[in-house]
Amino acid sequence: MERDNHQEGEAQGVKICDLPRESNPPADALATSLSLLGSHMFPDPVERNNSITVNKEEPADSLPDGTAEEESLDAEPHSNQVTELETEDTESTECQNNVSTQPSDMGTEDAATDNDRSDSGEFVVTMLAKAKLEEQGIGVKGRSSPLLEAGTQEIPAFMSHRDEDVTADSWRQHRKHVFVLSEAGKPIYSRYGSEEALSSTMGVMMALVSFVQSGDNIIRSVYSDGHTVVFLQKGPLVLVCVSSSRQTEQQLRGELLYVYYQIISMLTQASISRIFEHKKNYDLRRLLAGSEKILDGLLNLVDSDPSFLLAAVHCLPIASSLRDALSQILQKAITPNLVFSILIAKNQLLTIVQEKTVIEDTRLEPADVHLLLNLIGASSAFQAGEIWTPICLPLFNPDCYFYAYISYLDPPECTVCLLLLSTDKEAFYAVAECKKKIEEAMMAQNALSLIAKVQSYSVSQVGVSDLRHFMYKPFDVPDNYRQLTQFTSPEMEAPYSSEEEKMRLLDLYRYMHSRIHSTSRPLKLIYHVAERETLLAWVTSKFELYTCFSPLVTKSCAITAITKLLRWIKKEEDRLFIRYPPKYSTTPNPSKSSRGGKSDQQDSTDNGFLSLL
Amino acid sequence: MPEVSKMKKPDVKVVLLGDMNVGKTSLLHRYTERKFKDTISTVGGAFFLKQWGPYNISIWDTAGREQFHGLGSMYCRGAAAVILTYDVTNWQSLAELEERFLSLTDTANHDCIYAVVGNKADLTDPKAQLSQVSDMASEDRSDYEESIEPQVLSACPTPPASPASLSGITLHKQVTLEDAVALYGRILRYKGLEEKSSLPAEKMCFETSAKTGYNVDTLFEALFDLVLPSILRKRNENQESPTVDLEECRGGSSNKRARSACC
Repeated sequence: MERDNHQEGEAQGVKICDLPRESNPPADALATSLSLLGSHMFPDPVERNNSITVNKEEPADSLPDGTAEEESLDAEPHSNQVTELETEDTESTECQNNVSTQPSDMGTEDAATDNDRSDSGEFVVTMLAKAKLEEQGIGVKGRSSPLLEAGTQEIPAFMSHRDEDVTADSWRQHRKHVFVLSEAGKPIYSRYGSEEALSSTMGVMMALVSFVQSGDNIIRSVYSDGHTVVFLQKGPLVLVCVSSSRQTEQQLRGELLYVYYQIISMLTQASISRIFEHKKNYDLRRLLAGSEKILDGLLNLVDSDPSFLLAAVHCLPIASSLRDALSQILQKAITPNLVFSILIAKNQLLTIVQEKTVIEDTRLEPADVHLLLNLIGASSAFQAGEIWTPICLPLFNPDCYFYAYISYLDPPECTVCLLLLSTDKEAFYAVAECKKKIEEAMMAQNALSLIAKVQSYSVSQVGVSDLRHFMYKPFDVPDNYRQLTQFTSPEMEAPYSSEEEKMRLLDLYRYMHSRIHSTSRPLKLIYHVAERETLLAWVTSKFELYTCFSPLVTKSCAITAITKLLRWIKKEEDRLFIRYPPKYSTTPNPSKSSRGGKSDQQDSTDNGFLSLL
Repeated sequence: MPEVSKMKKPDVKVVLLGDMNVGKTSLLHRYTERKFKDTISTVGGAFFLKQWGPYNISIWDTAGREQFHGLGSMYCRGAAAVILTYDVTNWQSLAELEERFLSLTDTANHDCIYAVVGNKADLTDPKAQLSQVSDMASEDRSDYEESIEPQVLSACPTPPASPASLSGITLHKQVTLEDAVALYGRILRYKGLEEKSSLPAEKMCFETSAKTGYNVDTLFEALFDLVLPSILRKRNENQESPTVDLEECRGGSSNKRARSACC
C-alpha cells in the first residue's frame, strides 16, 4: 500500500517537461535515481518539501528552457513522496533497508502498475540501488554522530579540497560542485573531494544520463528547491554541475563548457575521442593527473571574474602610447611560425600581437585567452624558468596543439608575463631568442617600470556620484573588427571590498545578465532595485552595460549618470581597450599556420602525442 | 658586458626525467634556490640556465605527467646528461623509468651520461633527514634533528611534501639503492654500452632529499663535473647543437639585431 503511494507521488514529483507523454521513461525509476543522487548531493533535513524537476530535451530541437525553468520554479512543491524518499535516505540505516528491499518490490510493482516499463529501466534502478549501497557502505564508516557533526564541518586548513570527506555536511554545502566523468561512468574530475570516493555518486549521474538517453532524450538539468543540477555531454565526456548559486541553467552550462574547453586545451578533442574510441573505460585521470589545479583554478576564476560571464577579455588600462610601444616591441621580435605574442601583467592583457594570415582566417576567441590566462595563473608556482608546453586553443582549433613559451620578465616579482605561441614544436630556442630581444627592448625603453606603475582605475575617476561599479562591453571598438571581444570595469571598491560582498555584486550582475540574455524573454533595459543597491543593465547594438548605483539613486539620476559614463568611456577608449590590434607576418608559406593548412599542420604537431596511444 | 651575454648560450644540456610527483622540480628548486617549497605539477617542460664556472648548463625540468609524454624526446634531444628520477617510497616510479622514460633518451647524445636518482630519501632514511645545506637551520625540524640523533623517523610522519604522495605515503622504503644500481646496469645494456668502459654504477646512483637538501648538491655537481668533457668537445666541434642550427636558418633583419646585441 505504501509502495503504491510512492508510485503516484513520484510520477507527480518528477516533472518531465516538454515531452509527449508516451515517450516518458518510467517516472518512478527516474525518481528513484534522482532521489539517490539527491540524498547524497543535497539532503536537506530541514526543508522537506523539495520539488525536483527534470528538464530534458529532444536531441534535435532545442527547447525554450526559460519557460521550462519558470514552470518549475512556480510549481508548487507537491511531491512529498519524493522528499520522503530523500529523507529516508539521509538516515543511513533506514536507507540500507530501503535499498535492500527495493529489488524485491520491483517485481510486484511491475505486475501491478506498469506495462510499458522497459528492461533497461529496471536495470538502471537495480544498478543505482547497488551503487547507493556501496556509497552508504563508504558513508557509514566516515559518518560521525550528529552530536559531533558541528566539529567535523570545519576543514582543517592544510587539507586540500581533494582530501575532503565527501560524506561530511561541509562537502555538501559547497556552493558549486563540478564533476567530470567519462561515458563509461569513470570519474575524471571533481572540484571537491577525491574522485575515488565519489565514484558511485558519479555512477549514479551517469546512470541518469544514460537512462534518459535510452529514451532518445538528453538530460539537461534537474531542479530542486535549493539546487540546480546541470548536465553537459561533450563527446565522450559528461560534465555535471550541482549549484546552489541561483545562476541560470544557461550560465551554469556555459561554465561547464569552460571546464570542457580547459580539458581540451590540455589534451585536444581529437586525442580524447581517439582514446575513448580505442578504450571505452579508459581512465582519463592518467592523462589529466597533475592538471586538477588548473581546473580548480579555472572554477575559482569563473566564480570570481566577470570575464567569463561576459565572454570578453579584460585588458589593463594603460596609456595608448605605452601600449603601442609594447606592441611594437613584440612586433619586432619574431621567428618563423610564431602566431601570437601576448603580454600579460597582473593576469590581465597588456597587448596581443597576432600573425597576419592567422587573424585573417580566424579570430582569437575570448574563451581561448581566458584558458591561457588561467593556465599561466595556475602554473606560476615555479616562475624562474622558461616554460615550453603544448597547448590547444579549443575555439581556434580543438584538434591541434600550439606550443606555448611562457616566461616572466620581472623575476622575482613575476607579474609581467610573456606568452609566445608557435606552431613549431621544435622552436623553443628560436622563441626563447625572441624573448631575449623583447627583454632587451623593454629594458631600453624602461617599459617594465612603466608597467609596474599601471593600475586598474577607480570608479571615482568617472566623476559620477552614486555610481559604484560598472561593466561595459562594446561590440564595436573601432578597428576591432574580428578582434577579441573586450570589456572594461573599474576596481571593486567599498562597499564591495570583502570577498562576500564582491561575490554578492557578481551574483547581482549574473542575475541581470540572465534576464538580458534570457532565451524566452530577453530584455534590453532593466532597472532593478535590490536590497542594498540599484542596478541598471542596458544592451544596445553597440554595447552591453551593467551598472551598480547606491540604493538612493532615482531612475532619472541613473539615466543621466549612464550618459555621463558613456561619454567618459568614449573619451578614455584609447586607454581602456586594445584599439589597434597589431599584426606581424612570420609565415613565408601562408598555409603553414593558417586554418587552410590545418591538415598538414595537425600531422606535424600532433605526432608527439600520437605516441601516447 | 659582451662577455655576459655571450655566456647566455647554453653549452650543455641536462634533462630531468621521471614519473610525476617524484620531485624533479623540487630537486632543481632545492639546487638553484636553496629552498624547498610546494611546487605544482609542471606543464610541459621548464628551461633553466645554470652558470657552472665559465660554462652555461641548460637544465630541462620536464613534466612527469603522461599528458606530456610525447614531448620527452624533444626535451632530450642532444642531452649530455639525463637524470632519471624516482621516488624511494614508490616502487612503481622506478618501474616507470624503464617502461616509459628510458626510450625517450634515444634522442640524447650518444655519449650521454645517466644518473639514477631516488628522491624523498628523508622519508625512509634517518641520515637523509639531516640537512646538508647550511642555510637549513631556519627550516622546519632541522635544528632539532641536528642536535639529537635522528631516530624520529617513524615518530613524526613527514607531511606530504609536494603535491606528491597522493599514491599513498608510506615511510616504508620500497626501492633500495641496489634496485637502482640494477636499473643502471640495464640502462647501459639498453644503450649498448660496456659496463667496463662506462661510469660505474656507484658513482651514478644517488639517493637524495629535495626537502632536506640531502645529496642534492652532490648530485648536480658530480654530474656537471662529468659533463665538462662533453662541453669541451662540443666547443671544439664548433657547436653543432640544435640550438645553433635553428638560429642559423633564421633569416631577416631581426637576426642581425640579435647578433649585434650578442657580440
